[in-house]
Amino acid sequence: IYIYFSVVKKVRLPSVPATLLKRRKKAIDQKRKDLKKFAKVLKSRGVKRTETFRKAEKYIKEYRLKENQEIRLKRNAKKKGAVVVPGEARLAFVIRIRGINQVHPKVRKVLQLFRLLQINNGVFVKLNKATIMMLRIAEPYISWGYPNLKTVKDLVYKRGFAKVNKQRVPLVSNTLISKYLGRRGIICMEDIVHEIFTVGRHFTSVTNFLWPFQLNNPTGGWRKKTNHFVEGGDFGNRENQINCLLRRMI
Amino acid sequence: MSKMATVNARPLVSVHQNGTITESSISLPAIFTAPIRPDVVNFIHDQIAKNTRQPYAVSKDAGHQTSAESWGTGRAVARIPRVRGGGTHRSGQGAFGNMCRGGRMFAPTRVWRRWHRKANVTQRRYAMVSAIAASGSPALVMSKGHIIQETPEVPLVVGDKVEEAKTTKEAMMFLRKCRAWSDVLKVYKSKRFRAGVGKMRNRRRIQRTGPLIVYNKDQGLVKAFRGIPGADTIQVKKLNLLKLAPGGHVGRFVIWTESAFRKLDKLYGTWRKPSKLKANYNLPTPKMTNTDLMRIIQSDEIQNVIKRSNRKVLRRNPKLNPLTNKKYMGKLNPYANVERKLSQHYQKIKIERKEISRKKKTGELPARISKEEKARTAIPPKMKEPREKVEPKKIKFIGKKMKRTKKTKSGDAAAKNGKLHKALLKPGKPKPGASKGVKTGKTKPLPSKDSKTGKAKPLPSKDGKTKPLPTKDGKTGGTKPVPSKAKQVGKPKIETSKPATPKPSQPKSTPKQDKPKQAAIKK
Repeated sequence: IYIYFSVVKKVRLPSVPATLLKRRKKAIDQKRKDLKKFAKVLKSRGVKRTETFRKAEKYIKEYRLKENQEIRLKRNAKKKGAVVVPGEARLAFVIRIRGINQVHPKVRKVLQLFRLLQINNGVFVKLNKATIMMLRIAEPYISWGYPNLKTVKDLVYKRGFAKVNKQRVPLVSNTLISKYLGRRGIICMEDIVHEIFTVGRHFTSVTNFLWPFQLNNPTGGWRKKTNHFVEGGDFGNRENQINCLLRRMI
Repeated sequence: MSKMATVNARPLVSVHQNGTITESSISLPAIFTAPIRPDVVNFIHDQIAKNTRQPYAVSKDAGHQTSAESWGTGRAVARIPRVRGGGTHRSGQGAFGNMCRGGRMFAPTRVWRRWHRKANVTQRRYAMVSAIAASGSPALVMSKGHIIQETPEVPLVVGDKVEEAKTTKEAMMFLRKCRAWSDVLKVYKSKRFRAGVGKMRNRRRIQRTGPLIVYNKDQGLVKAFRGIPGADTIQVKKLNLLKLAPGGHVGRFVIWTESAFRKLDKLYGTWRKPSKLKANYNLPTPKMTNTDLMRIIQSDEIQNVIKRSNRKVLRRNPKLNPLTNKKYMGKLNPYANVERKLSQHYQKIKIERKEISRKKKTGELPARISKEEKARTAIPPKMKEPREKVEPKKIKFIGKKMKRTKKTKSGDAAAKNGKLHKALLKPGKPKPGASKGVKTGKTKPLPSKDSKTGKAKPLPSKDGKTKPLPTKDGKTGGTKPVPSKAKQVGKPKIETSKPATPKPSQPKSTPKQDKPKQAAIKK
């Protein structure tokens, strides 16, 4: 009978202090947990991304539809010989034209309420009886009008900053938006643009979330700040001409 | 160190004699485990050191031994008091002021300056205790600068015979046997002149401090050690902080005689028993029972409860203009790039149409356009192109068959570089789709359907070009590439056993085509 003695080589593990081993184990466990969490995060990110994609698509269709509807109405009316009265504008963009010195207290208050605290500050305003009266009080200090989609988009994308923790934070990613406006169903830039342009239910939340736009002086200059637009100047309601101005100010 | 207290036994200190360890040993007095407070020692040392000062002052009349009076204004001289009289240089000279020659100094030093300082007894004792405790720590003693590399033990306890030493020679021999002589040598080497004016003030020479011998009964020891530079002697009952912590710094090299060492417990007490020789005194209690801070921090009790360190580096995310920066725009609005490409495409079509209408007008083209042409311009052309059916070419395999090696699954996953994290997710279990690769990067948005045709719209992709969706065969709209013949040169001609079944030549990597297959199947 042969009895084989297996020669077992004693493998000596390198002596490592216990604390190090504990730390390593902890690190590995932690990493495992992190990866699991991260996988979830990535998944949610993917979901959000598809959502934003779908929304953007939907909105474009919506805008196009609206435009075409208006055109169609006009054409139909023209055919019949009738007249189409377009709805009054519901959205305005208001820019503060003048500085902060020697401002009448009433005007000062109105401008404060609009958050127009600095020259060339701009805000989106929902037009109703109340706000229109306010705009009338502050008229010599502001220039306002009805922005179109491109203007709204450009403003939000290029000059859009958020009010986060009382800080002016750039709109760098959609996560910021979804964090603060998510519960209103607004998760991306396109949502913001849509909400503003169509003056939706959450218009005030969205515009309040946005810091007042800080615009440039217009390239090519003003006409005459001390006069009403109608008089060849700049202040007051210039309706659709605001888009031309903003093109030069954004 | 109160761990010692909890263990109820203190370490033994052996008594040294003539360079050897005797049989007798003493348990370490509790004082050596008392808290070491260098701040207390420093403060008390400052206070006590002031108590041996001798007053100095200027003479009390200095500068006032004149009857000078100011001449007042109107005499074209400064208004300082001037010495009266005449007949000497001194007359008319300014007097009294600190700015005057021969005048009194500013704030003349006075004898009644507060030279001595009171120090609370308990605080003094605290300092003493700290200093003694520090002398029991070899690290502190070495950091003070004493040469104790050779000494057999710290604290160094020595037989009582030393107390009977009569001659300096004996003392020297004793120190040699104790291996404390190198400390004395250092003193010798450090003998030098004082820097500064103290030289002329009877403080000409300076030297290091050497060992301190603490004895119980002086039977000649003091005189014997008088001649050894640097060595100091002190009786146990009259311990002096100025000697135990010279300069206010703890950690003097102390040599105890046996009887002196034994007295320490009686003198200062242990925490259990108050001091016998001092009225109403017990050792100071430490603020922390376990002073090993690192050990405390690394202990399980704390490590399990502390929050994770936040290694996140918060970087400023610069705002880039999405209107000019396509990548950035894509980040904010994933549909934007698609939109742009579509609009570009439609613009092209528009231009084409214009061309067509222009050509119609000029007569180059017929007035009517065929349905095909209309259809082509209405919808993105790529979608409407019929998918070319490419017959797989019958190619004879001349050459070795490529063996498809199976990728090692998770058994070795841990060993692979960069795949460690996958192993961690499910330790030890083989992942079915591991070789395909779990996509943890960007997830493609699901393709949306075009409104006009019921078919899916092209996927938005990284480079902005819309790729046509793959069919179920896994083929994309394009021709199959032919394998290069260069590979087949120089290899033995081995024809395959099944020439009839066409082997699709896919010299380009298969996994890319597998993925859309998967996507197609998943749908």
